[in-house]
Amino acid sequence: MLQFDRVTLDSESEVLRQRVRDFVADNQHHMPQPNSDFVTGHDPEFSAKLGEQGWIGMTWPSEFGGGEQSNFERLVVTEELLAAGAPVSAHWIADRQSGPLLLRFGTPEQRERYLPGIASGQSYFSIGMSEPDTGSDLASVRTTAVAEGDAYRINGTKIWTTDAHRNHYIICLVRTEAPSENRHAGFSQIIVDLKNDGAKVRPISNMAGGEDFNEVVFEDVLVPKDRIVGEPGNGWQQVTSELAYERSGPERFLSAFRVFVEMVRICGDQPSPHQAAAIGRLASHFMTLRRMSISVAGMLEQGKDVGVEAALVKELGNNFEKVLPEVARLVVPDLSQLDPAKHKLFRDTFEETLLLSPSFTLRGGTREILRGVIARGLGLR
Amino acid sequence: MAVLEKFYAASLHADWGYVDMDTRQLIIDTAEKIFADHCQKGLLDAAEQGIFPQDLWGKIVENGFHQLGSAGSGTDAADLYAFLKVCGRYSVPLPMAEVLLSNQWLASAATESGSDFASIGRLNDTSINQVPWGRKATKVLGVAADSHKVLVIDAPSINEQGNNLAGEAHDTFLLAGTEREIELEDSPFAQMALARTNLMAGGLQATLDLGLQFASERSQFGRSISKFQAIQHSLAVVAAEVAAAQRAADAAVDALGTDRFIDEVSASKARVGEAVGIVAEQVHQVHGAMGFTYEHRLHHFTRRLWAWRDEWGNEFYWQAMLGSRLAAMGADKVWGYIATRG
Repeated sequence: MLQFDRVTLDSESEVLRQRVRDFVADNQHHMPQPNSDFVTGHDPEFSAKLGEQGWIGMTWPSEFGGGEQSNFERLVVTEELLAAGAPVSAHWIADRQSGPLLLRFGTPEQRERYLPGIASGQSYFSIGMSEPDTGSDLASVRTTAVAEGDAYRINGTKIWTTDAHRNHYIICLVRTEAPSENRHAGFSQIIVDLKNDGAKVRPISNMAGGEDFNEVVFEDVLVPKDRIVGEPGNGWQQVTSELAYERSGPERFLSAFRVFVEMVRICGDQPSPHQAAAIGRLASHFMTLRRMSISVAGMLEQGKDVGVEAALVKELGNNFEKVLPEVARLVVPDLSQLDPAKHKLFRDTFEETLLLSPSFTLRGGTREILRGVIARGLGLR
Repeated sequence: MAVLEKFYAASLHADWGYVDMDTRQLIIDTAEKIFADHCQKGLLDAAEQGIFPQDLWGKIVENGFHQLGSAGSGTDAADLYAFLKVCGRYSVPLPMAEVLLSNQWLASAATESGSDFASIGRLNDTSINQVPWGRKATKVLGVAADSHKVLVIDAPSINEQGNNLAGEAHDTFLLAGTEREIELEDSPFAQMALARTNLMAGGLQATLDLGLQFASERSQFGRSISKFQAIQHSLAVVAAEVAAAQRAADAAVDALGTDRFIDEVSASKARVGEAVGIVAEQVHQVHGAMGFTYEHRLHHFTRRLWAWRDEWGNEFYWQAMLGSRLAAMGADKVWGYIATRG
């Protein structure tokens, strides 16, 4: 039986929550148009301020600039920032994914070299997994890194690379050995300096008008040998464990939260029964998903494997993020006739969220992949 | 401590070690064992025909389960609701929610022998209706949506026998004007909703388990249907809803006695009720025509789920209750209210 334990946050977490709320209140100028989606607000100045507060790399050891705090404290900071619509995208991937990856699998030199910059909110990373012919089937990656003396020569193309045009590094899944019978063998991850190593970055506009996607082309890009994350040949194990960290956090159900807030504002303090039920329905989902996410944080804190539970939270959370705007649009009086001045915030956040919503069940593992993970956990595969 | 002594005796009798188990786990394990033995298809069918499951009731009394959560039983309300989850998982054809809550409300009125019990129904101006197994009850209690008062009929005389959608006995009693009233601290209506929520959480788990079992046993096109991606994805959706339902049900139990009780019950009954529609539909689809027969046991679970989501406030009722509260707080307060510690 799948178990999501009851977890109560400790009082330290609540003290921290108040600190984050005060910080958010003092930094409203960084969020003129709050949106809870974690990719929408790129603000290096804000990220650096978070770094100063010690709110990036919170769970890492202090020798690498970390805060040695619990997964619960990290969750509190994360959910408070997202709920407020704070701009967190600049450091997001580095904090959530690249840093923990290097901490777990990286060499001592790599940890020392990259982690303090991430924790200070000044060093940003991209993920180099997908390729033009590789989406969910990650083992079909074709980009190669061939050893040549003290270097690796990289050839291939990565795609859907969020913020590659402004981030400092990309960690790429590459083939360091030719394909063999074991299709998960022969992969490594390698760190490329996006500013200095000669990778070509081409922007891809998305349907929401965003410019954060890119294609990154490697043509005989040479990087030093010590850029391989940990041991060569360990790439598959690295990417699969890395994907599990990114599936259960509050960003998997809060992407549309500001739409909810503005919807409640328009409904007013005396909503019709229909409006009240819509508010209550969405709130019941938020309350439940949040508790499930906290349960997973508790499992992480105990060092448990959270693969299936995290996939469940993401499956439920992403579907809910898509339902939310659908509910919201039908309870505001008439979307097309809303007073533009009075209801600008609702319209802006609603339209942006709806346009982004197709990505909710694609990024970080598609719905189809997640359902497969859950089915395996149920013993069906 | 009568209840615990009986558990210990039963556990020792069954050759179980109990020393390291906490009370709640002991209750759950003992209940599961009894229900697995007794709540077979035949018993559920018979109960639907109006035959009271006397032997099962005897087992419940023998183990002290009829006093769970009552003062002096050595168990608390959280044990009571954990037990109701187990009842839901086995479609126990007895009004355990009503028996246990009425005992609690009447300050442990249950007799040691269990020769009588009270049941609870919806109160309106002239009657108390939808009283589970009211025909067997020696006391009948009536609860209305917006009152902390409970009406008690001490010598009930049944007016009409009936059934709910699941074939559970639901009877009606006319008011004579001579009833007495008691008053409770926590809303009795919300407590009944919480009881249904936990029964549903258990029933949802059982429904998922039946789906998993059937998918692995049924073979088509030369292989187990569990190997088809369409089936795997249906059951993954079901598992996600069931997991959410468990967490939601537990959260409302944890809010007992706090000022968030009504709101947490609202969220919980609404969320679990929403899961019912999805889970029942998908698991029936997985079962094909077999699950549509009376002979298969799936309907004993799905019909109860469909009935229970409408009893003691449906999703719309509780969603609107919660939504009105949040709207009154104002848009900028909703996050603070959602972001609780527990």
